[in-house]
Amino acid sequence: MSTEVLIGAWVATGLSLFMYSFLYKDNPFFKLGEHLYVGVSVGYILIITHYQVMVKKLYVPMVQEDKWWLIIPSLLGLLILTRFIPALSWLSRISFAFIVGIGSGVAIPRVISSLILQQVQGTLKPLVVSTGQGLSFFTLTNLNTILILIGVVSVLFYFFFSLEHRGIIHRTARVGIYFLMVSFGAAFGYTVMARMSLLIGRFDELILYASPDYGYATLVLLALIVAGLFFWERSQRKKPEEAG
Amino acid sequence: MRDFARRMLNFDRRVIFLLIAIVTLLPLLFPVGLPVRVSPEVRKVYDYIESLPEGSVFLLSLDFDPASKPELYPMSIALLRHAFRRNLRVIGMTLWVTGTGMAESVFAQIAQEAGKENGKGYVFLGYSPGGANVIISMGQDLYAAFPTDYHDNTTANLPILKDVRTLRDVDYAVSLAAGVPGVEVWYVYGKEKYGFELGGGCTAVSAPGLYPLLDTGQINGLLGGLRGAAEYETLVGVKGKAIAGMDAQSATHFLIIFLILLCNLFYFLGGGGGTTRS
Repeated sequence: MSTEVLIGAWVATGLSLFMYSFLYKDNPFFKLGEHLYVGVSVGYILIITHYQVMVKKLYVPMVQEDKWWLIIPSLLGLLILTRFIPALSWLSRISFAFIVGIGSGVAIPRVISSLILQQVQGTLKPLVVSTGQGLSFFTLTNLNTILILIGVVSVLFYFFFSLEHRGIIHRTARVGIYFLMVSFGAAFGYTVMARMSLLIGRFDELILYASPDYGYATLVLLALIVAGLFFWERSQRKKPEEAG
Repeated sequence: MRDFARRMLNFDRRVIFLLIAIVTLLPLLFPVGLPVRVSPEVRKVYDYIESLPEGSVFLLSLDFDPASKPELYPMSIALLRHAFRRNLRVIGMTLWVTGTGMAESVFAQIAQEAGKENGKGYVFLGYSPGGANVIISMGQDLYAAFPTDYHDNTTANLPILKDVRTLRDVDYAVSLAAGVPGVEVWYVYGKEKYGFELGGGCTAVSAPGLYPLLDTGQINGLLGGLRGAAEYETLVGVKGKAIAGMDAQSATHFLIIFLILLCNLFYFLGGGGGTTRS
């Protein structure tokens, strides 16, 4: 096994255990891991952006391929940085106006078409299905259609605030709440599944790194962190005594 | 009894963390091999790839970063293995800057395993900033959106991209996404305008939000979370990390259901108004 893989395994194991140490309580190991995560993420983004964007998409086309018109978007980009200079910050509005204008123009028709009109079309399904043997009213597909219809209408009633929720409006809105509760329950169930998957993924790697091939990285680092937490806890208890 | 129930509602929550850790670890160390049932939405992605003729263009956008690796990495591996086995022309890319290195490594690893060469059997285009704008740009001119691939090869000269000038030349695209930009963006700015078929894969958190797109046929299939990945691994016939994790997934779900029931029981036994830890 190459040295860089081994170092990578030890670093990954250590950082995972640092983060999990928060489950005991907030502590210096967790803080170190947290700060490292932020720092490394920013550094990584800067390096990738520099090479993949600034060099490959700006410097090389401009200097080596004579695409000098790229200076215009570059200037627009630089104008955004004038936000840091109060006297010149008004210049950034030119770039923002450009971004908002182009962004809205591109997004509004596409989003209305894709996420509103087509979703409405998907909601408005026929309740009566024509089959070879005539018209069919009560099929399994119809049941879904009816559920979608009741759900959409009742939830819309729940979010209808122009009329006081009394009588039929109150009862319909109440049905809407049940649909919302089911939806929240499903979303929560999926969230639990996602979080457990992340835990399983980390544990899977921690088990792998606990093997002799990786120098028992997980076991050694776990012992060190537990020992570290023990001494840290003791020093924390001593502090109030000394102060007293 | 009431005091006991109230005491139980206030017990140290670190006990629950410990229980979850044990219940997760045990099935990983001693797998049971619970069966994985394939859902129709996952099968549709598999069937569509199966139906593509050899040499069809398959675009796989890995729109996630290492934070979602446990769920989406196994999906990437299973999909790539399937695509390479079907001898499709695979185009890889990412819309997430922090996922670039990981995306490149999974392409390189599975391509090497399948004996595919960069530029001939597959290409990894890398990252380009802009999200939706990248998709629009690829729809107009793929060579302009990505003049070079991740390894600095000129895309216009790559054999694998011969006759692939825009997204209209893509037969099937799958976005494995942990958020935005992801599947929705690929649909709104890609499929609807340029007409290729689109499938999706996502973290379990995002899955409920994507089912409406599946229901209306805006995406043809969906792999949701670790379960979706395990189902795809089952279809491809290669046991990977997702199938290995399903025993632990089931065990933790059982524990959580049990704890929810237990907490409700203690809540009612405690008179319903017990003080709980915030």
